[in-house]
Amino acid sequence: MTRRKLMEWKNGYLFILPSIIGFSVFVAYPLLSSIYYSLTEWSGYDNPRFVGFDNFNYMFTVDPAFWPSIRATFYYVLLSVPSSLILGLGLAMLLNKSLPGIKWFRTIYYLPTVVPSIATLTLWLFIYQPQYGLANSLLRLLGLPEGTWLTSEMTALPSIVLIGLWQVGSGMIIFLSGLQSVPQEMYEAAEVDGAPKWRVSLNITIPMITPILFLQLILGIIGSFQAFNQVQVLTGGGPNFTTSLLNFKIYTDAFNGRLFGYAIAEVWVLFVIIMIFTAVTYRYSNRFVYYESDNSK
Amino acid sequence: MSMAAQQGAAARPRKKYTWLDAVRIALLSIGSIAMLFPLLWMLTIALKSNNEVFQIPPEWFPKEMQWSNFVTGTKEINFWQTFVNSMFIAVVCTLGQVVSSVLVGYGLARLKFPGRKLWFSLFVGSLMLPGFVGMIPLFHMYTSLGWYDSWLPIIVPAFFGNATFSFLFVQYLKTISVSFDEAAKIDGASDMYVLTKVLVPMALPVIVTMVIFSFQGSWNQYLEPLIYIVTPEKWTLSLAMASYKGTYATAWNLFMAADLIYILPMLLLFFFGQKFFMQGLGSVNSASLK
Repeated sequence: MTRRKLMEWKNGYLFILPSIIGFSVFVAYPLLSSIYYSLTEWSGYDNPRFVGFDNFNYMFTVDPAFWPSIRATFYYVLLSVPSSLILGLGLAMLLNKSLPGIKWFRTIYYLPTVVPSIATLTLWLFIYQPQYGLANSLLRLLGLPEGTWLTSEMTALPSIVLIGLWQVGSGMIIFLSGLQSVPQEMYEAAEVDGAPKWRVSLNITIPMITPILFLQLILGIIGSFQAFNQVQVLTGGGPNFTTSLLNFKIYTDAFNGRLFGYAIAEVWVLFVIIMIFTAVTYRYSNRFVYYESDNSK
Repeated sequence: MSMAAQQGAAARPRKKYTWLDAVRIALLSIGSIAMLFPLLWMLTIALKSNNEVFQIPPEWFPKEMQWSNFVTGTKEINFWQTFVNSMFIAVVCTLGQVVSSVLVGYGLARLKFPGRKLWFSLFVGSLMLPGFVGMIPLFHMYTSLGWYDSWLPIIVPAFFGNATFSFLFVQYLKTISVSFDEAAKIDGASDMYVLTKVLVPMALPVIVTMVIFSFQGSWNQYLEPLIYIVTPEKWTLSLAMASYKGTYATAWNLFMAADLIYILPMLLLFFFGQKFFMQGLGSVNSASLK
């Protein structure tokens, strides 16, 4: 019996060995070592030199690009996360009914998410091109004034958010499969009681999918704080730092400026911001999120 | 027989559509135009001649389809070389991620050993970490191994499990009864046999989902190639398309044609895997709701 148990222990560890190695080498080691590196001056070529909190001091008080990039990052998260959640859920609710042709609509709304990130961004770069781009051509056709899109401080960041909304299908599909797993009996019961449609949505559908809403919210926050490709491909941080998202600044400081120690210190600031946002969301969502198992206790 | 079919059809209550359904369809139609328009515009540009692209006012449709753009567009840059590079990297990474994640998922879901819960929470917890945290120390590690300007920093980590996929697999195995494993084990089957011959065939929808996501992930990845690969002959398509957007500033039609070929494998993957994908995603979703 004990021999069999030992065998099972050994096998268990053998099976999860890839992830144990992966976790130690690609997650734990860089995470822990980066705590030390954030306190050093380091170009990546030489040996890191310990400088205490100098990096953070420089970041908060001297670096002229730091606060604008924090501002841009927060602005981006606050614009993109709620808009894609609301649009994704709204679309899922519209698509969650068996009507003729509904499958086609589902496919169409999911289609843009299949397009690779770089293909999407280069496509939209041309769409936003002031003279010949699709966006201004359409506005001219409708007799409206042309937009400034990526070229002005006011519109650059919202234009980037708009590209994200074109790919709202990835969130929509998750909400849709969540809506479809709401037990049908609940709707039938509501119908028997003669509840009006808007009350069914408000009191049954929404509460039943709050766990998914919550998960998407958390993942959305974590993901959008790390947005990078958009800035690298579309704007390079401009105009005047309005799209210089923190992740992009970290990348340029590390690989163009060769300030490895400083960039790691910035990574830690971003990391702490994400943790605070996640914790706050977690705390305040708890009262709204409905878990089936809580009820059955 | 046709009588019975007719009766069946007559007995079924006819579905009534209300004006609300009409509103729903109208809203969805407007939205789907917005979704399709950029892609259709891309296609029309790809088929235009050089002069037509910059015509003012713009012609929406090309007068004569320039199918040759797909040939010229991919000749200008080192397109097919980078296409093969991307394909190779994506296939190897997918293989590595799916196989290692299935092994890890089986261990976590089906075998009992001390520390199992701890490792599970560590793996799942690591999903919450922003990818940038490890980027610079890992860059340093790979360069000191001499892996700079090679595909190794992209390929090797794929073989050491992917937390998302392991989690998906664990969730899916929860829907398969343990009695299947036990029956096979009583007959003397090993864990490897149980996993590959009993469970994997039953878990096909989630495995196809993993393959699709994994392939899509490696085909799309941009940051890692950007950091590690310097030599243009070793570039991936994502790098090539991003850096050639400047080269093509005067030839949009050629760029769009090349970009469409870059998208094509993803479209094919999506259309062929769609059925499995919805099934796999749906079951995982309802499992995570419980």
